[in-house]
Amino acid sequence: MKRSRRNFIKGSALASTSVMLPNFLKAFSTPLMSSRSGKILVVVQFSGGNDGLNTIVPFNNDIYYQLRPTVAIPKKEVIQLDNGLGFNPAMQALKSLYDNGEMSIINNVGYPNPDRSHFRSMDIWQTGSNSDEYLSSGWLGRYLDQNCLGCDIAHHALEVDDDLSMALKGTKRSGFAVADPNLLKRTASNEFLKTIAHHHDHEHEENVAYLYKTLTDTQSSADYLAEKYKTHRSTVNYPSSQISNKLRRVAKLITADADTKIYYVNHGGFDTHVGQKKRQAKLLKQYAEAMAAFTKDLKQNNLFEDTLVMTFSEFGRRVKQNGNHGTDHGAANNVHLIGGKLKKAGFYNEGPNLSNLENGDLIYDIDFRKIYANILEDWLGANSNAILGKGFRNLGII
Amino acid sequence: MSNEKMIQHIYWRAGFGLSPTEWQQKKSWTKKKAINDLFTKAYQAQKIVLREEVTSLADTMENLSMEEKIRLDKKAKSQLIYQGSDWVERMASPDESPFLEKMCLFWHGHFACITKEPVLGAKQLNTIRKNALGNFYDLLLGMSKDVAMIRFLNNQQNRKSSPNENFARELMELFTIGRGHYKEQDVKEAARAFTGWSSDKKAEYIFKIRQHDFGRKTFMGKTGNFDGDDILKIILERKETAQFISRKAYRFFVNEKVDEKHVNQLSDIFYNSNYDISTLMRSIFESDWFYDSKNIGVRIKSPVELIAGLIRGLNIKFNNPKTIALIQKALGQVLFVPPNVAGWEGGKAWIDNSTLMTRLNLANYIYLATDVSLELKNELETKGKIKNIKKIDATIDFDPLIKYCGIDSYENITKTLSDFFISPKINLAREMMQPFLIKSNQEDFIKILTMRLLTLPEYQLC
Repeated sequence: MKRSRRNFIKGSALASTSVMLPNFLKAFSTPLMSSRSGKILVVVQFSGGNDGLNTIVPFNNDIYYQLRPTVAIPKKEVIQLDNGLGFNPAMQALKSLYDNGEMSIINNVGYPNPDRSHFRSMDIWQTGSNSDEYLSSGWLGRYLDQNCLGCDIAHHALEVDDDLSMALKGTKRSGFAVADPNLLKRTASNEFLKTIAHHHDHEHEENVAYLYKTLTDTQSSADYLAEKYKTHRSTVNYPSSQISNKLRRVAKLITADADTKIYYVNHGGFDTHVGQKKRQAKLLKQYAEAMAAFTKDLKQNNLFEDTLVMTFSEFGRRVKQNGNHGTDHGAANNVHLIGGKLKKAGFYNEGPNLSNLENGDLIYDIDFRKIYANILEDWLGANSNAILGKGFRNLGII
Repeated sequence: MSNEKMIQHIYWRAGFGLSPTEWQQKKSWTKKKAINDLFTKAYQAQKIVLREEVTSLADTMENLSMEEKIRLDKKAKSQLIYQGSDWVERMASPDESPFLEKMCLFWHGHFACITKEPVLGAKQLNTIRKNALGNFYDLLLGMSKDVAMIRFLNNQQNRKSSPNENFARELMELFTIGRGHYKEQDVKEAARAFTGWSSDKKAEYIFKIRQHDFGRKTFMGKTGNFDGDDILKIILERKETAQFISRKAYRFFVNEKVDEKHVNQLSDIFYNSNYDISTLMRSIFESDWFYDSKNIGVRIKSPVELIAGLIRGLNIKFNNPKTIALIQKALGQVLFVPPNVAGWEGGKAWIDNSTLMTRLNLANYIYLATDVSLELKNELETKGKIKNIKKIDATIDFDPLIKYCGIDSYENITKTLSDFFISPKINLAREMMQPFLIKSNQEDFIKILTMRLLTLPEYQLC
């Protein structure tokens, strides 16, 4: 085997101990890549409808405790923050981010005429549509359609799964789905696929041409990502969970300075109709610990300031608990932003008003598309009107 | 256009391709004979039945213990999987009517409805089967009284005291006339007319007389004490409805790129036939333009069409019906679970880097029964670990294909197989096939070449 200089360094004793390794390695591969430009966005999707009230707990609110005799988090267990709100105890790992002003929580986020079906509400969040409107492209997909800088690269927006979410599907361009870059490289670049990609007749009808283009783009992205993937070996200890694995993969690519600017990560299982407390605690703990490792990893590589994380779920849950120590589908919810450069950290607005409910559900006062508008304009430098339609005033948090 | 090509075209568009045995028999048929064959078989088709009548309807579960509920819920879920897989296998089976299944797939996407209840899904599909080639009015009325639809679009909550406009809006926007041809006031009035169209505890359609608004309504310029049925009739009087449906059929069966002249022809015919779906479909298949080269081999097969076509072409037996469901999910089209009421977008929207790789490798995965390792997201409401596609447990029967090829030169076999499998024009560059043209015994050569052809992007189109 030809031993390249990079392989040599990687295999040396220095590699396993040095915290400086990533940057050190980067020096050898710079000719291949563009220098870092712009910001990184990471979207974390909680699927199944995360109970926001037990995530950000209103621990001074009597109604909360009355309506949830067995599901509420006891005041003494809550990680108390400000304004009578605090974290679910499972989110201890995020406390220091909050204390450092690296986390922002937006309460009561939703949209008019909320839909309580998982599918439909997720569709609304991912497409950025009104609840009586059906769009066949996602908000980030439409961002890609806008010819943003570098958007012609297939993996500009990457989902860490093997199926691509609607959020990343545009009409002209789409994001890239890959759970494991090494595995993708093996599938995309088998001998025959390489052969046909090189030797096909280049005169095609439009759809055939589109398939060949997608094939060659996939092959070059797969090669590129697998290569980048090798570059960085994190010194941070990531806990073992699916969300943690995914965020570790994201950190690997960010640290290797891959030219992916948007990452999309799914964390599922939040549909807690039965026995909510244990199940939600487990999921939130996985999330919080994974996020703590992820942010630590980025900080060690001086990349945290370039990164913004948005965490959302398709809806919150009903205020009153149900008969099975769980909660049913609700409406408004909180959204979390994490990043090294937030303009407004901590709580953006007051917690939910539990004495003014609509059909037993929280009423939204911030349209989720205002958060999107803020991200699009101030983080991605895009024109949000063209992507979301007019009238979503930027929140000014980012 | 060779006759053979035309036969291949019609059986792909009106069905799911042909098996090697069917191909051998039918490729010299006239168009007319093929069309008659398709229609005759479609009219003979029977209702479908569920493997087991299992339900997890909330109403029937009221008095059950938690364990019992969970058990039933699980059963219903696997029944739903069987239902979708069984349907794909019907599409693929030479013993069934491919044309009827294709029409049902078209209407299933048109009247897109999500149900988690196998019983309701089967009932809805039977309503579609009964009317798929009948009169559009009957189909529309059937869907307006369909329990899965009523529940999906909240007509259950549409009451005189508090009308719910969801069904009325989608009826006009997506099912009949399309945006721009009705006003907000029409939605409100139509919603009033459909108040009380509901379902009972046994999941049967019921007209709840006390919830119905018997008052006067003004809808699309007409005034009267309309009920839902009157609304449907008024919508069908509008020629835009015939245009909307004809355009959709054209985009599904002919070409996504619409030729306005042809669509206008079709909608005149459809309207003048008083919405007879068979008349509409016959005029598509009997037209000359349907066989224009610009309309052949240009349609990206939907995932379900792709799977059904593969099964038919290779005589595949899946040992576990769940596999078919997982492939549907990996490729982005799960039957009975459209993305929303607007249905599947189709065309290029089927294709992203991941679905394309799975599509291109699918036949090989089946052939080699390899470990596929796809990490797919869970359904939104399920908990626990992601169910990955692990192994595709299926067998291919190459015998019909080998028999069809006969003893021949490798060059001729290459042409025989590529004519059978590939719809678009194709120029097999020698470099592409060369490494695989090495001397092996003829059976192995046929197998390997088949797998190569099915890996070509061209196989994704019909």
